[in-house]
Amino acid sequence: MSEQLTSGTGTSMIGGTEARSSRSILVLLMPIAMVGVALALVPLWLSDSRVLMGVAVLGLTFICYTIGFNVIFGSTGQLFLCVGALAGVGGFGAAILADNVGWPIVVSILVATFAATLTGGLLSYVAVRRSLGVIFTGIVTLIFSLSFDALLLGLSHLTGGDTGRSIHSGADTFLRAQVPPYYLMLALVLFFLLIHALLRRSHIGWAFRALRDDEVAAELAGVDVARYRVYGALIGAAMLGLAGSTYAFTEGRISPTTFGFGEVDVVVLVMLAFGGIGTLFGPIVGAITFTIIDEVLIDFGQLRQVAYGILIIVLFLWMPRGLIPTVASIWRRVRRLVEVKE
Amino acid sequence: MLNLGYGQIAVTSAIAVALAMEAGIPILPAAALGLLIGGLFGLFLDLTILRPVYRLRGEARVLLSLLLTLGVSFIVDGFLNWRFPLKTLNLHIGGGAVEILGVPMRRGSLVASAITLATFAGLFVFFGRTSLGRAIRSVIEDEEGARLIGIDPKKMLRLILVLSGVLAALVAVTRSMVAPVDTKSGLSITVFALIVTVVGGLGNVVGALLAGIILGIVNVIAADFIGSYISLIILLVAAAVTILIRPAGLLGVKE
Amino acid sequence: MLEVNGLSAGYQGNDVVHDVAFRVHQAEAVMIIGSNGAGKTTLFKTLCGLLSPSSGKVLFEGGDITGIPAERIARLGMRFVSAARHLFPRMTIEENLLLGAYPNKPEPETMSIVLDLFPRLAERWRQRAGTLSGGEQQMLAIGRALMSNPRLLVLDEPSTGLAPLVARAAYEALNVLRERGLTVLVTEQQVPLAMAFCDRGYVLENGFIRLEGTTEQLAANLAVRSAYLGVT
Repeated sequence: MSEQLTSGTGTSMIGGTEARSSRSILVLLMPIAMVGVALALVPLWLSDSRVLMGVAVLGLTFICYTIGFNVIFGSTGQLFLCVGALAGVGGFGAAILADNVGWPIVVSILVATFAATLTGGLLSYVAVRRSLGVIFTGIVTLIFSLSFDALLLGLSHLTGGDTGRSIHSGADTFLRAQVPPYYLMLALVLFFLLIHALLRRSHIGWAFRALRDDEVAAELAGVDVARYRVYGALIGAAMLGLAGSTYAFTEGRISPTTFGFGEVDVVVLVMLAFGGIGTLFGPIVGAITFTIIDEVLIDFGQLRQVAYGILIIVLFLWMPRGLIPTVASIWRRVRRLVEVKE
Repeated sequence: MLNLGYGQIAVTSAIAVALAMEAGIPILPAAALGLLIGGLFGLFLDLTILRPVYRLRGEARVLLSLLLTLGVSFIVDGFLNWRFPLKTLNLHIGGGAVEILGVPMRRGSLVASAITLATFAGLFVFFGRTSLGRAIRSVIEDEEGARLIGIDPKKMLRLILVLSGVLAALVAVTRSMVAPVDTKSGLSITVFALIVTVVGGLGNVVGALLAGIILGIVNVIAADFIGSYISLIILLVAAAVTILIRPAGLLGVKE
Repeated sequence: MLEVNGLSAGYQGNDVVHDVAFRVHQAEAVMIIGSNGAGKTTLFKTLCGLLSPSSGKVLFEGGDITGIPAERIARLGMRFVSAARHLFPRMTIEENLLLGAYPNKPEPETMSIVLDLFPRLAERWRQRAGTLSGGEQQMLAIGRALMSNPRLLVLDEPSTGLAPLVARAAYEALNVLRERGLTVLVTEQQVPLAMAFCDRGYVLENGFIRLEGTTEQLAANLAVRSAYLGVT
């Protein structure tokens, strides 16, 4: 396994995981703050269009999903093909709790997030106990995704079945306005980024890197690989549940397709792989890129999917490790050339 | 390596057969054409998209194959839905129901089952008794060992891909005898194929057959007694449970 | 039969063997001895085509086979038994042996020679290769290599993982084959075993060939005696 992680040799898809423990907190916060400021300016330019603001909010939500997936897959190598389902546990869970059970929105969100966290942790625990490899974990979580989808369709009195349901709670609040939800989701994005950054610098992050690099060596060094995998899944699932439930209230309407495999998982996978698996800002780069691509492709009408497929193939043949790692290695080569010249 | 385009190969073949039959070509040659197209599709994948995947190993290989075949499945799915949005393949085998051991079966199901069983028998013999079949297995068992006895892994992989393309086409054709196959069936075919393969044990032909039968039976029983959504869940959960109890699959060998 | 000149090879740009040259003539048994890390396995991998040399030439029966990939070299009349054996664990002894002759069917005469040599293989005919003991696996690996009637058999550290008695039995089998006209090249760490079997040898040290000579010459050589035979 150790051949796969080394980011300089060109044989791996997993991007840079350099330890930043030697740098100060400021250096850590600066890029995140810059991203925050940059994204905060977006509504200045889009706020007239309700449609475009909606797209932007969804884009931010996908950044959250991708960060969550990054924590689960990038940090601990578990291919969870149930990102949408976990977000859906949060989304539908919170909706049902708020509307049908009558709990306050914040409580509903928290409880639903908790449920998603537990689900993710459970899936991870099972995968770890049965020593399922990448492919098998992917398949088991895919099965969970599909089962969840079928469950949503089956429990139609609660979930609205095929057509979904609307969420009455929070209908007259800022949650349904045009611009405030954007800042709410942006807050989540920055929060998740911060958590991920802190995680990477912590001993948990060190354990993640160790188990990613060489599982056997990590075990021998005292890292309880199983436990850290479950930790990663818990944190990631919490992010997914939180993002899903918050998004649900800003939209006011959810259906199985909001959290479906094809609509969420496939997209998130592509976004993260493109940005750079395991990198801090990969999810941002990937999600923004593909949200924009998606909008641009609307003009293609029927051939939209074809264009999407061609794009994926071209991009991943060109940059199998993702944008950030590829750029990083080009940068390193340029720097070395410059040093040699001096 | 994970091939997410499997279902699309099946659907492409199905559409090809449908088009051929509309052009007046009778069933058997049309079906043969479908199988040919499936095989060619597999060959095409091997010669083009999958070249970079072969250079990788382990997790990186799984990921890249997943993403590239995903791209292919989008292209095919999008194209077919755009060009032939309403085409379906529906091989209706006429005649009433036939009773087998007291259970009434539609002729279509009967023929489909017979073809499937025959195919499995053929595959079993091929992999178990012919030198080419053994050679293919050897590449999967130990690639270096195979090279040391003069077996070219690249050629064998190409053969596997062509074979899987032909089988995908066969799946589409036999399925169409039982239920219509249209341009949207791709994903469900891929998922079911994936689940059956994994439950049966990766690389195990008999296991796949066994898994297919068991999962099929579970599906029918559940659908009859409960409702279609719950039956789907039960099917999926049964598959998951099998994987969990025996991660190597029903008949796979524990490494 | 086999002629190697100026061969250098290694991994990721760093050479492990440097400028190696040796010859193997028909009907000979030649050894390349050296301690751990001397480069024997790297040399073996280069010869069998699993590794591409960075420089040098390899000639087999007059033809240049430098850099040709393993699957093609195996069809030229040379067969290799690596230290890791590379058997097909889930396939039976029968299947492993049948594959040795790929793409042809094995000649009945060859099969009976192999089974005479290693009767245990016949006993365990339908057993899966992964369940065999170390000695049996080595027998199977050699047997499989013989199925295509090679003219030259190259073995990398055949005594690896074998108890001394078993290792000696393996060499005795090789002796029988030699009498039938097989040419053999072995790399070996357990020098006395190799010396009892081979006519001629080369000493590989840190990737360089330091000495060559007949077995008697090498056995008498003081440096060899102290380094490899434990005689002071």
